[in-house]
Amino acid sequence: MNLFSSLGIAVRALFAHKTRTFLASLGILIGIASVIVMVAIGKGSQQEVMDVIAGMGENLITINAGEMKRRGGRLRLTGNVTTLTVRDADRIADEIGEVESIAPFEEKRMMAKFGNNSAETTIAGSTSDFSVIRDYRLKIGEYFSERDAKTANRVAIIGMTAVKNLFGEEDPLGQVIRVNFIPFKIIGVFEPKGVDTNGLDQDDLVLIPLSTYMRRIVNQKFISRIFVKASSRQNIAKASEKIRELLRENHKLTDDRNDDFTLITQLDMEELKKETTEMFTKLIVGVAGISLLVGGIGILAVMLISVKERTREIGIRRAVGATRRDIVHQFLYESLIIGFLGGGLGVALGVGLTLGLTYWGQWTLILDPNSIWTASWACAGIGVIFGVFPAIKASKLDPMEALTTE
Amino acid sequence: MNLIEMNSICKSYRNIGFETKVLKDVTLHIKEGDYVSIVGPSGAGKSTLMAIMGCLAQPTSGDYILDGEEVGQLNDRKLSRVRNEKIGFVFQAFHLLPGVTALENVTLPLVYAKNPPANVKDRARELLAKVGLEHRLHHTPGQLSGGEQQRVTIARSLINDPRIILADEPTGNLDSKNGIETMKTFDNLVKEGKTIILITHDSEVAQHAGRIISILDGQIASDSQVSHEEQTRPH
Repeated sequence: MNLFSSLGIAVRALFAHKTRTFLASLGILIGIASVIVMVAIGKGSQQEVMDVIAGMGENLITINAGEMKRRGGRLRLTGNVTTLTVRDADRIADEIGEVESIAPFEEKRMMAKFGNNSAETTIAGSTSDFSVIRDYRLKIGEYFSERDAKTANRVAIIGMTAVKNLFGEEDPLGQVIRVNFIPFKIIGVFEPKGVDTNGLDQDDLVLIPLSTYMRRIVNQKFISRIFVKASSRQNIAKASEKIRELLRENHKLTDDRNDDFTLITQLDMEELKKETTEMFTKLIVGVAGISLLVGGIGILAVMLISVKERTREIGIRRAVGATRRDIVHQFLYESLIIGFLGGGLGVALGVGLTLGLTYWGQWTLILDPNSIWTASWACAGIGVIFGVFPAIKASKLDPMEALTTE
Repeated sequence: MNLIEMNSICKSYRNIGFETKVLKDVTLHIKEGDYVSIVGPSGAGKSTLMAIMGCLAQPTSGDYILDGEEVGQLNDRKLSRVRNEKIGFVFQAFHLLPGVTALENVTLPLVYAKNPPANVKDRARELLAKVGLEHRLHHTPGQLSGGEQQRVTIARSLINDPRIILADEPTGNLDSKNGIETMKTFDNLVKEGKTIILITHDSEVAQHAGRIISILDGQIASDSQVSHEEQTRPH
């Protein structure tokens, strides 16, 4: 008996029981569809996070004052460290060739006022390279000049969230806001950047020259952060190592003492996010495994019922010359087709949902051809594995008994 | 030469520790072209004998030589091939595949044939015409009367041109008119050279054969030739 006629028999038997065939494949269908959508969500959110990391600035190295420790899943500064200074930043800029530009940075949450409106926002002080390193682009207006920095001028560039909170619909350019009763003239507005990797709004910001910040807002010598841009992606690690050595020397740290600063490079952040993504992937694989198992059990149940119901048919086929092998093949092909059918419809549904959610929804979903390919083969495998037992059971029936079964 | 040669065939079933002997030392020889009836009350072992004869079951002990081949030693694949090529079954309950047309039911054995002929459909049409069903080719068993279904079964049993036709109570589910028609078909098949083995408890049906073997309690009780006059007596 050839493959073609075996397949033909299987297809006809399945076609004769359309509802049952569909129900048998339903478990696989839902399993596969959900796995495809989940993988797409995972890939999408990974891409989003990578975009955010890249958006924080190309080849970025962040130097934080103090030791950073993971608390509640996020990195937080511990203690109050006063050793990081603008002088450190100057030395790094002068002495390390792999550094392209550098921006010392200090920030604080404060109330800002415009007319009768007041809102809490982040008041940040930095140098002109900040916008280049962190990839903040001006929407309108201009950046503060060297002169503004030298004279500690009271000018500010404002982020979109702060604009909304303070000005509403009004045009902020040229207006004056007050922070700590000190007036600042708005000379520029940043383009929106969205949230960072910790979900914090990067547009809720009022940026002023660092010199102004240090003298007029806080009156301190130390800073909490330095942003560094390495000259290329390959140089990130090298630059980071040189910065560590230089800072240790500058802070006069002996070999037995820990760093009093923490370096986080773009590569570190990507690595960190990859770990969470891998966790998510493992979770998806687990869910996929369970749903395919359930789908397989569905096939098993339906095939067992089918064998029972068609005992007489099996007897007839055996009497006219079907071998045990022929019977095994017939039922295996049926479960294989059920598996493929469920897989095929599941892929269609999963891809449809993914495209639909991307088109109409707010989410970024990325279809993974790999997951579709794997899922299809998994379905065929499930069909065969869970079809083997019923098929063998069918083939072991005694032909004479099978014929006399009512 | 004997087409069927059964020597000391025993068959027993084991059920929850109890052994039931269904056939006890049956020795039986049938020549090619014979027309044989096997009669006996129900439970005598007729059906088991037919199952062994038709290679649907293996004897517990004894030799069964079919067409010169020791059948008791064959594996499932070869045994299936013997059923496929040498034996045509006609059952009391017809045993047609439901929901499948008469034409396809007739061609079913050729699905499992090793070398199926090229003109499968033509052959099936020819055989259905021979049993008077040329107008019922695309009807399913549900759309056919009992007599018509039995004729489809006979056509199916002939599709692979077997040497032996094994008929288990072929008239059991038929009215007398269809029963007579069916028996006429068998009578004609004998003339064409087929070996026919009828299993029945109807003595009138049994009288069609040239030889009547009576089974009682798993053993052959009598084995007699029927005179030519009786065989051709009119109904």
